[in-house]
Amino acid sequence: MSEFKSGFFVGGESCNGRVLIVDDEPDIRKVVRMTLQKAGYDTLEAENGEKAIEVINSGENRLLLDVMICDIRMPKVNGIEAIAYFRQNYPRVPLIVLTGFPDTDMATSLLRQGVVDYLVKPVEGEKLKASVGRAMEQREIAHL
Amino acid sequence: MTLFSPAISDRRTELQGAAQDPTPLPMKVAIIGAGRGGTALLDALHQIGTIGVVGIVDINPSAPGLRRAQELTVPIYDRVSNLLKNQQPSLVMDVTGDPTMESVLQKEVPPGTNIVNGQTSRLLWLLIQHETGLQAELLHAEKLAGIGSFAAGIAHDINNPLQLILGLAENLTEETDLDAVHLQARDIIEAVKRTTAICRDLTSYSRRTSLQQEGLISVNAKLDEALKIARYAVALQDIEIRKRYQPDMIAKGNPDQLLHVFVNLITNAVQAMEHQGILTLETTAVDEGTQIRVSDTGSGIAPELLNRIFDPFFTTKPPGKGTGLGLYNIKNVIHHMHGTITVESQVGRGSTFTLTFPGETSQSEGGSS
Repeated sequence: MSEFKSGFFVGGESCNGRVLIVDDEPDIRKVVRMTLQKAGYDTLEAENGEKAIEVINSGENRLLLDVMICDIRMPKVNGIEAIAYFRQNYPRVPLIVLTGFPDTDMATSLLRQGVVDYLVKPVEGEKLKASVGRAMEQREIAHL
Repeated sequence: MTLFSPAISDRRTELQGAAQDPTPLPMKVAIIGAGRGGTALLDALHQIGTIGVVGIVDINPSAPGLRRAQELTVPIYDRVSNLLKNQQPSLVMDVTGDPTMESVLQKEVPPGTNIVNGQTSRLLWLLIQHETGLQAELLHAEKLAGIGSFAAGIAHDINNPLQLILGLAENLTEETDLDAVHLQARDIIEAVKRTTAICRDLTSYSRRTSLQQEGLISVNAKLDEALKIARYAVALQDIEIRKRYQPDMIAKGNPDQLLHVFVNLITNAVQAMEHQGILTLETTAVDEGTQIRVSDTGSGIAPELLNRIFDPFFTTKPPGKGTGLGLYNIKNVIHHMHGTITVESQVGRGSTFTLTFPGETSQSEGGSS
């Protein structure tokens, strides 16, 4: 089993890709991590937008991050602000929104900004994996 | 400090005067009888700027209206003749329901002074009761409209535990380690409990206020309860909350209505701070009674808007975001509790709303002033 501290990846065996999970609730990070690790992804975690920016700017993460999953309602730097930052500074990293609040206007506006998927909690493991899988493909296409 | 109530009555005087008469003379009203009818009449008339209640009379020294008059500093009499002689009212309102009072007034009231009694008094009493009912309806409607803005908070608080429950349950279908199964099942139970707490909070908040249900309210506990409810309307994560409670503070009134007042003031305060700031909740015993202060370090209110914020339908929020009835209802509830509300504000620095309720400040013997 791999060990994780907030935002730093320690160890790990398989690698279908590396996903950063940004959510203020440790429980949510835990279940998303469980689902994605089983599907062979490495995961990083951050509890808010500010921490996520720190994580993505530290060490090799800048280069090795494949997909980001981001909540909206979070303390300090919220999801909207974090997403705007990531779209501007890391346009190559596909972004999936995972939020507790289904808001059509917000979804439309975020998808326009280039967010690849807008998932509403609770989301089934299969759906989440499929969404991350599609985001990985988009990332590869962008790299070609 | 900007005192609010006087500013509002001035404004009302202007508005009502303009509608009726360009130079209205204040109507000097005397109330005969300080029972339920007299108290309601006193409360209603006292709020109208063009009416001066010059005195109230009742032979029963413990009549509720006399106590109320004392709080409002309206002169109290035990004889009709003294009231008439000292105050020379232009209108005498007899709400005693006592037929013998009619002949007494006929003798004592000087010609040229109008008398309202009998069926006319009863009609007024019915109208006032009707208005009180309407105000309660308005309060409820505004409260329900406010709950609409809870949607994001409720969704967050329900869907997060649901995500945990779903994720754990999916995992359990494949989990073989019995210890892990037990641990995750317990996590699911905890998540379900958290979700039910939301429904409990909100159903008790949204229920219709019972007007009869008045009593002594522990204001510190009520402020804490309001914070829990306000969380649904506004994000409190980035707000530093400072509580400065004097222990055992009480106020007399309707607990549901006071909760609504606190929720509204806290919500406004947090909205004024947008992202971050300090919310201070303070309770103290002062000479006038129990004082509650809700302060924020937000955007503040422009001086030219300060004397309009308690007006009905006045709002600085964009269409669809505020009813403009929040502070208007707050003022009504506080007046009904015989209290006052004042505000101090500085643009860019923040605002402080101060509520003062007369009467005992503490449940503990001897008080703690």
